[in-house]
Amino acid sequence: MRGWRSLPLRARTAPRPPPHLTSRPTWLRRGGPGGDRNPNLPLKSRRRRKQRSSQQRRPVSPRWPRAGGGTGAAGANPSCPQRRPPSPPWVSVHQLPHPAGTAVMCRCPTCLLCPGQGLTQVIEKAETSLGIPSPTELSAQVQDEQQQAGSPAEASGEPDGAAHGAMGMFSSLSSVVQSTGKTVITGGLDALEFIGKKTMDVIAESDPGFKKTKGLMVRNATLSQVLREAKEREELQTAETDASRPDRKAVAHYGVLFDEFQGLSHLEALELLSRESESKVKSVLTTLSGDELLQLRDELERIRDSFSLADFDEEDVDEKKDADGSEFEKELLEAMEGLRVSATAAKLSTACRSSCSLIAAMSRQDEEEQEEEEQDTHSVDEVHAAAIRSLAELTARSIELFHKLAETTLFAGGGGSADAAVLTRLTVLLCKEISLLSRKFTSCLTAAGSREKADVLNPLITGVFLEASNSASYVQDAFQLLRPILEIAHIQRTAEADQQS
Amino acid sequence: MAYAYLFKYIIIGDTGVGKSCLLLQFTDKRFQPVHDLTIGVEFGARMITIDGKQIKLQIWDTAGQESFRSITRSYYRGAAGALLVYDITRRDTFNHLTTWLEDARQHSNSNMVIMLIGNKSDLESRREVKKEEGEAFAREHGLIFMETSAKTASNVEEAFINTAKEIYEKIQEGVFDINNEANGIKIGPQHPTTNSTLSSSQGSHQAGGGCC
Repeated sequence: MRGWRSLPLRARTAPRPPPHLTSRPTWLRRGGPGGDRNPNLPLKSRRRRKQRSSQQRRPVSPRWPRAGGGTGAAGANPSCPQRRPPSPPWVSVHQLPHPAGTAVMCRCPTCLLCPGQGLTQVIEKAETSLGIPSPTELSAQVQDEQQQAGSPAEASGEPDGAAHGAMGMFSSLSSVVQSTGKTVITGGLDALEFIGKKTMDVIAESDPGFKKTKGLMVRNATLSQVLREAKEREELQTAETDASRPDRKAVAHYGVLFDEFQGLSHLEALELLSRESESKVKSVLTTLSGDELLQLRDELERIRDSFSLADFDEEDVDEKKDADGSEFEKELLEAMEGLRVSATAAKLSTACRSSCSLIAAMSRQDEEEQEEEEQDTHSVDEVHAAAIRSLAELTARSIELFHKLAETTLFAGGGGSADAAVLTRLTVLLCKEISLLSRKFTSCLTAAGSREKADVLNPLITGVFLEASNSASYVQDAFQLLRPILEIAHIQRTAEADQQS
Repeated sequence: MAYAYLFKYIIIGDTGVGKSCLLLQFTDKRFQPVHDLTIGVEFGARMITIDGKQIKLQIWDTAGQESFRSITRSYYRGAAGALLVYDITRRDTFNHLTTWLEDARQHSNSNMVIMLIGNKSDLESRREVKKEEGEAFAREHGLIFMETSAKTASNVEEAFINTAKEIYEKIQEGVFDINNEANGIKIGPQHPTTNSTLSSSQGSHQAGGGCC
């Protein structure tokens, strides 16, 4: 049932090749002998790079409906507050500075674990036989095209960005992409289609979560809707597998757990507040004119900037560090100083601590196990379930924290409210913690599954990294939802100050 | 775990009337005499069965404090049911009902089912508001009425379930457009036709009370 939105088909009918195709040469070449690496993980991290490089934070989440792949109409949702016009992924990849591209390759810990699937040969063969332009040629071409067609797009975005909205920006950008796409495709379409099909097959084979992603890429909804749908699908799946194989233990489902920890509800509430604040800001802007309007625009622009400039690049985190979660707690407390959400922050620390002690318990067991050469005390399934559960809990608590921060910011209006810098710091901290946890859990998985075959262990490891990457993007999305709230709080603060003076 | 419908509820009313306690009693079947002040909104969820159908209640427990009003109003949107709670031992909480009702009517959809709840019925000796008064108010404004005690759990279950029954009837009558999520109703995941018997029977096994 879920296969109806099969991507090979999309690749065939799409006006331009899917993003992964156009960016393919960059990592393939850079990877050099990395032909034997798992193609799906670099792909994911590369997406993240792209969005950073363009300074437009776009959701990485595979569950997020990716506007870039669909038609123009599907891409722009004016009701979605944090939606920004997606920069054509295909343009930004080629503009990536080199170091970023190389870093992508060495970060993925599963690279070494996943055997090659013959993708490289397929691509190289197709490439040489059909004479596809080299990446440098491609990027030059793209840049030229963009310079020609890019100016109207920029012009339309600037004078009244808020009113013009995502729609205008997106449609002009997408036309740039389309025309660029057509030029490049001419002559090489068949080859691209062939590679695309192959790539999708390979990715789908090794990435269990990818099928879901494919379905969601063309959709258009708020994050909470997407998450709810994902959860419902998981529930159905569980019900079916349980019925057909009662002997097997239930698989851990991120979406279900996320909802259980009330992550969905908090996200929904945060979205409500964010949307309402956004419309309030808009209506305030319409009542102003002249210098007042210019000044406010300027101030809002500054808030907006501090949100879009945030860089969530996780540094190389040391797995050994922060074994009991106390360091995270300390940093969290530091970041949250003066904000009146201690109860929620405490929940978050507790969640983190319990994950850490879980990991500690499991790694201890692993060591003992090795000494005694006993049978699995912790099966890989158990470790995997614990990892998914911890990630879901940590993410849900993070969303809850952001929601509470939104409420106190709106409530307090002035004193005690969070500012963009604090929120950025918090987001970075949370993303780092998620990444750290996923690394710790995958080491546990590797240790616990030392006797398992690769085809049992690898999907589990990939699953943990996938959900960790999702978690990080949910946290970042929640962070973006706070922008209109800070804007309206700023407006209220200024109004109060004016009244007093 | 799979449900046929999801209803969004809000609980509103003055601070200290026992909104969070009602929720805790309904979801966790326990009573906590001292409760932290609710900030903004908190959540609870539970599965119930009506007419043989699994219905998930997603409950938004709002802060009663006046200063939070502007925020909590944002949460009224898209609720299918509301529990408007007052404290039978404090007349002022009863006197404020009109304001709450106006607020709720103004910020939510017109079809929202509202249940008026006189809480703390276990404190009969300190009663300030007669049961008849509550009934009269409810009749006048077209609400359902019940007296409950979050402490003894008396009528708590009924209050939540009767509200759901009313919403369910409205759905059957076609008053609620279930495809419009602004009404606070969501249809559960659709079972694939081939497996429908299997998974629905499984669903009912899993969904035994408690917090979901």
